[in-house]
Amino acid sequence: MPGHLPFKTQRLVVVTGKGGVGKTSVTAALARAAVDAGRRVLAVEVGQARLGPLLDAVEPLTTDPVRLTSTLSAAAIDPEEALGDFVLGVLRIRVFARRLLESTSFQVLAAAAPGLAEFLVLYKIGGWLDARRLGRALYDVVVVDAPASGHSLPLLSAPRTLGALARIGPIADTLGALDRRLRDPAQTLVVPVTTPEELAVRETIELHEELSHTLGLPVAPPIVNAVPARRFTHAEAERLMASDLAASRHPYLEAARFEIARRAQATAQLAELRRALGTKVVQLPFLYDGPEAPGGVAQLAAELAEAAGLAA
Amino acid sequence: MTLGGLIESRRVLVCVGSGGVGKTTTAAALGVEAARRGRRTVVLTVDPAQRLKDALGLGTLDGKPRRVPLGRGVHLDAMLLDVKHTFDELVRGLATSPEQAARVLDNRLYQNLSGSLAGTAEYMAIESVQRLAEDGSYDLLVVDTPPARHAIDFLDAPRRLLALLDSRAFAILKDPTSILPAAGSRLAHLVLSGVLRGLERFTGVTLVSEIGEFIAAIEELTGALRTRVAGTQALLRGEATSLVLVTAPEPRLASETDALVRALGRAGLAIEGVIVNRALPQSLFGSDAAEPPLPAPLGAPLEHRLQRAFEDLQALAERQAATLAPLLATARAPVIAEVPLFPTSPASLEELGELGALLVPAVAPDPALRSGRETA
Repeated sequence: MPGHLPFKTQRLVVVTGKGGVGKTSVTAALARAAVDAGRRVLAVEVGQARLGPLLDAVEPLTTDPVRLTSTLSAAAIDPEEALGDFVLGVLRIRVFARRLLESTSFQVLAAAAPGLAEFLVLYKIGGWLDARRLGRALYDVVVVDAPASGHSLPLLSAPRTLGALARIGPIADTLGALDRRLRDPAQTLVVPVTTPEELAVRETIELHEELSHTLGLPVAPPIVNAVPARRFTHAEAERLMASDLAASRHPYLEAARFEIARRAQATAQLAELRRALGTKVVQLPFLYDGPEAPGGVAQLAAELAEAAGLAA
Repeated sequence: MTLGGLIESRRVLVCVGSGGVGKTTTAAALGVEAARRGRRTVVLTVDPAQRLKDALGLGTLDGKPRRVPLGRGVHLDAMLLDVKHTFDELVRGLATSPEQAARVLDNRLYQNLSGSLAGTAEYMAIESVQRLAEDGSYDLLVVDTPPARHAIDFLDAPRRLLALLDSRAFAILKDPTSILPAAGSRLAHLVLSGVLRGLERFTGVTLVSEIGEFIAAIEELTGALRTRVAGTQALLRGEATSLVLVTAPEPRLASETDALVRALGRAGLAIEGVIVNRALPQSLFGSDAAEPPLPAPLGAPLEHRLQRAFEDLQALAERQAATLAPLLATARAPVIAEVPLFPTSPASLEELGELGALLVPAVAPDPALRSGRETA
């Protein structure tokens, strides 16, 4: 019983999760799936540099979106750079802005304004969603590879954190609009990603709770990445564990035992996740060659298209 | 030096590495093993998973070590690093009067932002380490750090805080016009104050003036803080402290490790050894592993699938080795332990003990298990 990914007409998809669960691969695959379904897509990563290669970008991604194909663009936002742009925009007098940005004091100030950097990232993404050309939206969908979950909460709660400090003025207005957009299920989908491992599953359950209840965001059932395939039937597994084989150090049997134990662990964690969240989950297979191998992202994209009902 | 040598001779062992590589679990397991070897040990951890938290008895955040009995009269202490609590304690300790402490503690910015103020959070965590090191009740402190990028902030915190105290930043924040070329001139003052007031109006944030007040309040503590920070820095760079990198054969870690090692270098710190987690044993799945006949015939279909399982894991092991090689070259330190990819993550005290024994074997480890890694 495969899970369903409620990705229909939302224009903003935010992929989040614990570090190392494959958020970037899932972002690339979701972007690819949306492109395959005929949408014009912008894929965005925040503060790292791993999305480009998965989308076959030749050059490193930059803050300005790069067109990779006629319907797929990609960008990488550097929060510090976003802060610089913002200050330049506000101060206008370049020499002051530069000196301000270079001074330690400004970095202190930036660090002291909770949610400012995150707000600027969201602001930038909002700009892309609003961008129009020839009377229609430039991008149908913006898929964001958010920072690891410890840091994506600040990102997604930025409108509120900063809103508490800036109650009136242009920023307050922008914050309100961002907050409404983030919380509107017709516009936004937040997708938690996990692996079928205990630590990741536990963190995902907490994250899901926080995103949907505390922040009131439209959250999809988690995507469980890197699920090992079931290779052996129950009877076969029993045969392989039988006394005449159990002591053997034959590499085939070692491999089989390893795979059986890994699958059992994954199954238990999938069950725990379903139980805790009361929902089916979307599963992606473990790729032995890694998602960066040729065809890796395409395979994940096909699975996600199927789960979202995007497949033609 | 071997990992066993490190846990037996060092005063402070700091585990650094990216998120999701098993750093916290590794630190806990090393703590258990050190305690079993008779060292009075405390594990300081930042963000343990619930099961590990339960195993270590870390239910509450109160900045005090908790005693974890390991059986046979052996125990380990464990403590959650609590930034806010440590910061408050430090301010109280350094202030010459309760009123002076209150001026800092009651500041709205301090209350809201002390955690995010330019490395102060990390500094405070390191401060707890120093306090326990001075305390004298422990032989060994095993320190778990925040994930890579933040580990840099964490370990570099004393230097950065000193730089901040020495920099013009304080002066600037109290008088923002000092960043102008013609600092001090009336015109410069007028122009910039105007711009900053405009910025405040535009953002609706009165941060600039509030930070000024905060800095003025905390500056009174500067002298005492400076001495303290220099001491922490000396402890971190000293002979008694070692850094180990916890990593795993995953492509995403290459650039993070590179950035971490560089930043550590700038902070005058070096990695002494690498613990590789989640690696498939090369002896089993390496490309030169032997393939004898199966001990019993199992029928063609099952045998075929067994072969597929083996070949897939071989491919994975190969990919891991290729991923690990540049990562280890970057770290410029030998592999001092290798932990195989377990189907489950250890979390009970017993499992931590097993992991500890595996990390630091009592006898010399099986050389086959580490072949081709130390030279990589």
